[in-house]
Amino acid sequence: MGDIVLKKDIKILVVDDFSTMRRIIKNLLRDLGFTNVVEADDGKTAMPILQQGEVQFLVTDWNMPGMTGIDLVRAVRADPKMAGMPILMVTAEAKREQIIAAAQAGVNGYVIKPFTAAVLKGKIDKIFDRIGS
Amino acid sequence: MSEADCSQGLDGFEALLQAKANELVSVLDSGDINSGLNIINELQQVKHLAFYNEVGYLTRGLHEAIKSFSDDAKVHTEPGNGKADSIHGMADASQRLSYVIELTEKTSHDTMDRVDKSLALVDKLDQQSGRFVDLLSLVGQLESEFEGLHGVYDRTNQLSKESEMAVKDLRHELTEILVSQSYQDITGQLIRRVITLVTQVEGSLVQLMDMAAKVERISGLNAGQSQVETKEKAKKDPIEAEGPQLAGKNNPGVAADQDDVDDLLSSLGF
Repeated sequence: MGDIVLKKDIKILVVDDFSTMRRIIKNLLRDLGFTNVVEADDGKTAMPILQQGEVQFLVTDWNMPGMTGIDLVRAVRADPKMAGMPILMVTAEAKREQIIAAAQAGVNGYVIKPFTAAVLKGKIDKIFDRIGS
Repeated sequence: MSEADCSQGLDGFEALLQAKANELVSVLDSGDINSGLNIINELQQVKHLAFYNEVGYLTRGLHEAIKSFSDDAKVHTEPGNGKADSIHGMADASQRLSYVIELTEKTSHDTMDRVDKSLALVDKLDQQSGRFVDLLSLVGQLESEFEGLHGVYDRTNQLSKESEMAVKDLRHELTEILVSQSYQDITGQLIRRVITLVTQVEGSLVQLMDMAAKVERISGLNAGQSQVETKEKAKKDPIEAEGPQLAGKNNPGVAADQDDVDDLLSSLGF
């Protein structure tokens, strides 16, 4: 029980250049009980937030101006303090090479847009199940 | 110059060429070299003129096309002041596309505001149904004391459960409305790519118009004078972000849905 309370309380960063998408993901996370959500609109603005060290779960888009999501994933994995942070990529990028590259860069889940609420929730649950076990 | 005029001009040149060729053969047959050279010079000049008229026609056509494009958008282009550094119609097309993104973003947020308000109302219904159940249990206790209340508890209880189910379905539908707003992101990414393309085309057209203006200024054309800049396209990064794929494109290198993504990743052991 204590575990669940801890899990729902974690700080989550949602990175997407479209405010519509950030809001959708934020609302779905709220449905799952996660209310401590912060936002950034690309990799560049996400990095300083991540470096504060409080974020425990990262949800990011790929195609963003400034710094793309794949570069953000690589930067996070290259930082020893954040190397183990779970990352879910939510993107319209759907080419095989891209999906494989994201997996190799170290994402824990890959959801293509447009997605259903059930798919996004399922992937998030799966990521937390793996961490829990 | 109208299209008909121009094609007539070209046909005219062909007819002239035929006639002059026959004339050339006959003057050469009669040994009149001087007249023969005059005919060749004449043909050369007519060819230059026809080519020059064609270029002029294309230039004016380009101006007209861009102007009418702007007129459609109720934006009037300034009278030509020599050198163009941007094309109103094209800039306007980009602006209109940007506006589509802006408008759909605003509308999506409006929709989501209403979804949020509706979800708050659903929460209220949930709370009310809790209080309703409390009141209902009171009816259950009284039922045995009053003959007229017989069966009311069971029937009301059934109604209350149906109502709870409807509220649950309503919550589900509202969530689906929320998620469907992701169309704004998908269409926005596609439109941004078109804006980039329009901007590139605009740049090329400005160069072309600049060139056309120079052509108009000079009276003759020197063969080989125009130099077309060719840019070697940089080798494309295979995983460069491309935005949403077009539905129905049926490309084997592209995941069609979430199942494809999951299959691909699990086949690779991720």
